[in-house]
Amino acid sequence: MSKKISLTLKVWRQNRGEEGRFETYQAGNIDTDASFLEMLDVVNDELTLSGKEPIAFEHDCREGICGCCGSLVNGKTHGSHERTTLCQLHMRHFKDGEMIVIEPFRATAFPVIKDLIVDRSALDRIIAEGGYISVKTGNAPEASTTPVKKALAEAAMDAAECIGCGACVAACPNGAAMLFTAAKVNQYALLPQGHPERAQRVKNMVAKMDELGFGNCSNEYECAVACPKGIDVKNIAALNREFIKANLKCEK
Amino acid sequence: MDIKQTVFSSIGQKLLLATSGLIMFLLFLIPHMGGNILFLFGPDIFNSYAEHLHQLVPIVIGIEVLMMVSISVHMFMGIRVALENRTAHDKRLSQKSTKERSLAARLMPVSGGMIFIFIIKHLLDFTLRAKPVTELHGHEVNDVYGMLLDKFTQPGHVIFYVLFMVAVGLHLSHALQSAVQTYGVYVPRKGSRIKLLSKLIAIGMASTFAIIPIIAFLHTR
Repeated sequence: MSKKISLTLKVWRQNRGEEGRFETYQAGNIDTDASFLEMLDVVNDELTLSGKEPIAFEHDCREGICGCCGSLVNGKTHGSHERTTLCQLHMRHFKDGEMIVIEPFRATAFPVIKDLIVDRSALDRIIAEGGYISVKTGNAPEASTTPVKKALAEAAMDAAECIGCGACVAACPNGAAMLFTAAKVNQYALLPQGHPERAQRVKNMVAKMDELGFGNCSNEYECAVACPKGIDVKNIAALNREFIKANLKCEK
Repeated sequence: MDIKQTVFSSIGQKLLLATSGLIMFLLFLIPHMGGNILFLFGPDIFNSYAEHLHQLVPIVIGIEVLMMVSISVHMFMGIRVALENRTAHDKRLSQKSTKERSLAARLMPVSGGMIFIFIIKHLLDFTLRAKPVTELHGHEVNDVYGMLLDKFTQPGHVIFYVLFMVAVGLHLSHALQSAVQTYGVYVPRKGSRIKLLSKLIAIGMASTFAIIPIIAFLHTR
């Protein structure tokens, strides 16, 4: 049974190039079956009707697979539920009359665009440095010409689950993008199709990650707790191995 | 160019941090702890251990040089990593909460700085000091045992040494597991034996070191 709850929201408001501040809003008559973003939609409707600027937040699929949404809810990335994106967080997890603090994902490499929207294109710059494989176009090759062990295929898929939402960066005390980069490097390193560009991929992606102003991993594992897709820190260990191997080989 | 880029990349810096730390742990901290334990067996054994150490001067100097290099690399990289992380992390967050990071991990730069202060004080207290002389099996030897007892008659010194060993323990408990993960060995978030071992070694070493001043203090009462 759904019921209606009322909440007090403390939301970060910021325009491009300006200093931000917290504003307080009342969110009344919120259905507990609503998602967190639907709750914000309701609040934004009221703001718009009263002639105020609605709260800007990013969203697309609203089913937890696109990686667009994400905010700090009471200091926790995507709210407090494990393996849940903000769009899949439901209002039944909040109490009537509760105060919720909503802030953007923050890191030096993620400048705020507006309100809760941050510029995460730094993650795309890392991908552009090698988060792909080069293949000849044309008909798809016969699948069994490249056998892949089941366990490896599964591990690669686990790494590929990363949706690039940036929660790991926002949760990291050092603003590091290690979990993201690790997942993206490892999803290819585990598969034969990723092997030809293996050494150069890890070198270039790590170099880009450093250049963009992300911090250094100090193995505190906040990222793994924050990740809505459950990307494991074993990927970070694997990234470290890839990096060591690539540099020992001295491949160009 | 390539080597410079590798060394000063985020992972390269951490590998150097881990390696210099492990060198100090294996070649200095562990032998030092072994030596300290001999204190418990009385003046003759402890003084003869110190005397034997003097006969190994070439090895000792070699290790000392290695330690100087390791400390320099460790401090340089540690400060560099800490400063970079401070810049990369946006501190305007009002509500950010942490769930996973340990107190030891949070305090790494603080405990590291404390250890550096401790090393200087410790060198001034014992190593760089004229040592009293005593007789052992008809030879004249340095009375390091007596020197140690003398030092720890003052409760202030005992408290200082014990307090700074807490910093050593905290530093080690995060350092060991973190170094292993940096070398690419998977240290899981939950139920990790490496994490547990790291904590046990840290507690074991810190308390072994801390117990010497306490015993020395009680001995002279």
